This record gives sequence, C-alpha cells and structure tokens, in this order.
Amino acid sequence: MLVLEGLRYAHQGQPDGYSFSMTAAPGEVTAISGPSGSGKSTLLDLIAGFLTPIDGRLALDDVDLLPLPPEARPTSILFQSESLFEHLSAMHNVALGLPRGTPRPEAERKIHAALAEVGLPDIGRQRADTLSGGQKQRVALARTLLRNRPVLLLDEPFSALDDETRSTTRALVRSLTAAHGWITVLVSHHKDDIAALAARRYEIVDGKLSLP
Amino acid sequence: MPLSALSNSVLPLRPFRLIGGAGIALTIAALVILVLWSIAAAASNEPASARTSIDVPHLLAMTSIQAGLTTVLSLLVGTALAWALNRLRFPGRDLVVGLFASAIVTPGVVVAFGLLAVWGRSGWVNDTWQGLFGAPLNIPIFGLGGILAAHLILDGAFAARILLTRLDAVPTARLKTGQSLALSPWRRFAVIDWPAIRGTLPGLAAIIFLLAFTSFPVVLLLGGGPANQTLEVAIYTAVRLDFDLYGAVLLAMVQIGVCATIVLAAAAFAPVPPSLGPSRGQRWSDTGGARTAQWLVLVLSILGFALPLAAILVDGFGSGLGALLQRPVFWRSAGTSLVIATLSAALTLLLALGLGLGRAATRNLALRTGIAAPSYAYLAVPAVVLALGFFLLVRSLGIDPEFAAPAVIILANALLALPFAVATLSPPLDAIALSRGRLIRSLGLTGARQFTHIEWPLIGRDAGVVVALAFCFSLGDLGVIALFGTQDFATLPLLMVRALGAYRTNDAASIAAIMLCLTIAAFVTIPRLFGSSADARA
Repeated sequence: MLVLEGLRYAHQGQPDGYSFSMTAAPGEVTAISGPSGSGKSTLLDLIAGFLTPIDGRLALDDVDLLPLPPEARPTSILFQSESLFEHLSAMHNVALGLPRGTPRPEAERKIHAALAEVGLPDIGRQRADTLSGGQKQRVALARTLLRNRPVLLLDEPFSALDDETRSTTRALVRSLTAAHGWITVLVSHHKDDIAALAARRYEIVDGKLSLP
Repeated sequence: MPLSALSNSVLPLRPFRLIGGAGIALTIAALVILVLWSIAAAASNEPASARTSIDVPHLLAMTSIQAGLTTVLSLLVGTALAWALNRLRFPGRDLVVGLFASAIVTPGVVVAFGLLAVWGRSGWVNDTWQGLFGAPLNIPIFGLGGILAAHLILDGAFAARILLTRLDAVPTARLKTGQSLALSPWRRFAVIDWPAIRGTLPGLAAIIFLLAFTSFPVVLLLGGGPANQTLEVAIYTAVRLDFDLYGAVLLAMVQIGVCATIVLAAAAFAPVPPSLGPSRGQRWSDTGGARTAQWLVLVLSILGFALPLAAILVDGFGSGLGALLQRPVFWRSAGTSLVIATLSAALTLLLALGLGLGRAATRNLALRTGIAAPSYAYLAVPAVVLALGFFLLVRSLGIDPEFAAPAVIILANALLALPFAVATLSPPLDAIALSRGRLIRSLGLTGARQFTHIEWPLIGRDAGVVVALAFCFSLGDLGVIALFGTQDFATLPLLMVRALGAYRTNDAASIAAIMLCLTIAAFVTIPRLFGSSADARA
C-alpha cells in the first residue's frame, strides 16, 4: 500500500501550498483529478522524489520513501510526452530499464518479451522519433515492465493520443497494473480516462486531496 | 526555462562532473592569472629600453580605426548577403551557404595571400590589365585597403551566416501574414527581417570588432609598413625584431585592457550562437528590383569571397608544388602542423566537455557561471599576447622556450578555441539536462551510461564542430607560433610567411593551397565523422 499522510509542499511565493493525504492499493489504478495548476504534477513529483516536501509522510508498505533519492525510489514515471529518448531505437529505450551489465542474450530476450507484452513485438529496431504517440507510450510501458518497480506514476499519459489509441492504451495500463500488481497513480483532467481506469478516485481542491 | 530555474532534485546527481568542471575552470583561470602576472611582472622588471619608441596612441588609433571600419562594412555586407541568400533559391545553394560558413575557419594568412594572388602586383587582375592595356594597374592592396578587404572577406561572410540563421528562424505564421498583406520587398525587410536581426547586431558587432582588433596575420602580410601597424603586430615586432620586451609588455597591457572592455561590453548583448548547419531559406521570394539586387549582391559576394580562394588553388597547385614537396622542411612543418592541430583539438574537446558537463550538472547559478566564465577570459587575451605571456612565464621558470614550444603551442591554441567550444557544447548539454533530467534520474542511469547512451549521441555532431573549429584554428595559427617558432620548429603558416619574406612566392602559394584544402577537408569531414560515430551509438 502506498500511503501519503499530510505531505506538504509550497512552491516559491505560493502562500498556502499543498497538503496531500491518500492511499493507493496494488493491482489498481488510483486517479487524481483537478483543473490545470491544481497541483496534480506536483503530487507526482513529490512521490517520485523530484520535489522534497516540507513535512508529512510517504511510505510504501510501511517503508519510508522520503529519504530516498529519485533513482532509488520504487517508482517508474510516464509523462504526457518525452517519455522516450527520441534518438534511440525502441529496443534501446526499453534496454535502459534493465540493470547495467545484464548479459546480452538475456537482455534481448527480456526486451522482446516486454515489447510483445505491450503489443509491439516487431518495432524494436525503429527509432523512437518515427513511432506514433500511442506506440511511444507502449514502449515506455515496456521499459516500465523491465524496471520492475511496484509504483507506476502516470502524468497525463493519454492526453496526446487520439480516441482509439487512447482507449487501447488505457486497456493496456489496466491489464498490466492488474497482472503485475502495480500501484498505479494516474493524474488526469480527462473525466473519461478516470472513469475507464480508476478503482479509487481523489480530487485536488484548494491544494488538498479529497474524495469526490 | 533556464537550468538555474529548475526545482531541486530534477538533475541527476553527478558530483564527479561538478568536481571535474570546477577543476578545469580553476586550472584555466589560474593560467590566465599566471599569464597576466608574467606580463605585469615583466613590465615592472624590465627597464625602459633606450630603443623604445613605440607610439601607443597612434597604434591604438590605427587598430581602432581598422577594426571599426571592418565592423561597419562587415555588418553591411553581411546583412545584404544574408538577405539575398534568405530569398534566393537556386541549385547549389547549400554549397554557397557552406562556402560562406567556412569563413570562420579559413586562416587569415591564406585569405591575405589569396588577395595578393588576385589583386597584387603580380596578381590575376594586374596581369590581365597589363596584357590588355600594356600598363600596370596600381591597386593599393598593401595598407588599410588590403586589410579591410581581407577582413571583409572573413568577417562579412561570418556575419552573413549568423544573420541568415536569424532570418531563417522567422516564424512561418509571420511570413504568411506578411505575404497576405502583400508587403513590398522593402517594407517586408523593415517589418519582418529587421526586427529578426537587429537583436543580434550589437553582439555580432562586438565579436567582429574583437576579431579585427586582434587580427595578426592579415595585418602582418597586408599592412605594408609601420603606418598601418596594429597593437598585435607591434607586439610581435617588439619581441622578435626589436628585442624590446618593455615595449611589448606595455602594448600587451593596452591590448588586454581594450579587449577586456569589449568582452565585458559584449556580455551585455544578446549571445551570438555559432551557425554552421544547413539553411532552409524561404518559399516567399521577392520580385522585381529587389530580386535583381539580391542576385547582384550574391554574385559580387561569391566573386569577392571565392576568387581569392580559387586563385590560391590555381597558383598553389601549379608549377611550384613539385619543388615544395621535395623540401624536407615542408614535410617537417606539415607534420608539426597536423600533430599540433590534432592534439590541440583533442585538448579543446576534453576541456569543453569537462566544463559543459560540469555546468549542466548543477542548477546553482553562481557555480554555473564560475565554471564557464574562465574559458571566456581567453577572448580578451589575443594569441600574440597569450604567447608573450607564456614566453615570459616559461623564461621566468628557467625553461628553454624552444624546449617548451610544442606543449605551449598546443595549450595556447586549445585555450584560444575554448570560448567557441564552450559556446557550442554547453547549450545542447543544458538542453538535455533540462528536458530529460527527470527521466534520466527516474531511470537511475549512471553518469557513464547517461553520457554514452543519451548525451554523446545527441551532441556528437556539435563535438565534431568543436574539433573541426579547434583543428582549423590551430592549423591556421600564426600568432603563437610566430613567437615560439625556430628554424627547426615551424608550422605551415610560419613556413609560408618565411617563404613570402624570402620572395619564394611559388612555395608560399603551394603552402596556402595545401592549408586551404586541409582546412576545408577538416571542416567538412570532422563533424560528419563525429556525427556518424554518435549515430552508431544511438
């Protein structure tokens, strides 16, 4: 279980700041909604470790995450765009999710399996900048599979996708979350994304999380 | 958003990069201080020689006048040429744009010789005129006219390439609006082009003034005597010909003072990024008189720039080449030039990478400034002054200058190329940190993995540009080798100047042609080699 208790943060010059409290369970998607500028991305940055809270608690299965730097946190993150390195091939991007020194045959086997799991078994050699928006997000999800971190943070990941791609990518996120027991935290201002995915919902109102 | 405005924890933690960058910055800052200290100490120790008859106000006035005129003319020609290139589309346009871009690396000594080959007493124009009319045409190629012509070729083309980038960057929506309003060519320039380039002009003017103010080989070859001498040539004359160290030190201090003032003033203007890539041009062409004017500007510019270079190739690969190739001194000098240029370029890349990676690893503004600033100090210390400082430093340490010469020349050439190298590599490294820092950190990539997989593939071509620039600068350097060169230790530019001094014009022409070919080959191939090596890593 991922637990946030009174996790407080204020941007420079922001008088009131944010205070976040929530829980998110394995195998399900927890959705956070709110208008632009309400603090959705700030919440993900706090969980990922890109921002340091003023005080509060952040724990995964009772293990305190706050002392950990971003690279040591049990999280993977997908952004709306720029989740891939455009100059690298799809395979190469996925390979960055493997620990350094993984033997080549094992790495290739894992990469192919991950790409197959996200429904893209044949695009490994294509450069990322030639992929469609939906394919890019799937490749990023394949890398997440290899990273094997229990918490997946999704920052408006479907916003740049067309309706059909959006629907299939959402289905993929739901099935991967269930299959791997991920704690997936989705921030979005799209009601249909939240309706399609969320097992648990929160809304940010006046800098605080509340149940809608 | 600048890197310094990022929130904490967004950049991967890279303490070794920070320490490396800070270490390099401190070392090169210490070198600047040592050089200045050596010059200042020599000034206080050397007695004013009875032979010191240096007229500093006259030299300062002459140097300022030629640099000022060069700046004004180069900006005028550069603006006109950029305007023409931006509008005209024709087969071979990329080649022409590349030709003008190569001005930044074409050695001054080669251009000066090219002008002599076309406009000199035995040049193409005079020979043709004499053949037609029986009397020589006395063109004043030596003196202020010749200096301005050479600087105009180098700096006018440089200005054109920079301004062309600004014109190419005009947003399409603005052009469409202008086209729908049916703006006349002149109104289009006033409403769309001028606002796009005017912000660049002050910074560009400062750079051109600095380049012309510190120009050494052009003034040495085309100055035509003491009347047109500049500070840089006067320092060389004082050290190598008059043995007047006091005078040289006095001039060096004046030179550093003026250059530092210009560099500080230039820092207040918008930065001028190097522009060496292809130009896309525009689809909206002008018509009528404006189009005729654009073609006229382009043809005259190509003739003015390419004719001296063509003359060098034709004269240089003529009958004198065979004799030159049989001289052992040529092969020795060519080998020395290539080794020095290669090592100097490698050192430049290492230093610039160290500084760029260190700078991009922190969001602390003071630290970022502190890491980059010392490299820019070398803009204020011209080649001859830097060489003089090293000469005095080596002498004060009791080391034979002849023994120290190779290492000093490699180091000095690398330091002189460093401002351009840092200006080229820092922005893309900063951009990677800015756009991909969070992703790199969340993936937990090590510094080595970040460099080999992410940074090197993205900056490989820029690194190639840095190596090419540093290689070409070093290959064409005359300022440093002029003070450290000996009979047994010479580079191609020094050998060429000696050949001219000994009236072996055929030898000089062949050396100039070989240098020109080496420069263009390096300028074209090195960025591609680095680019493909980087692509292979992707």
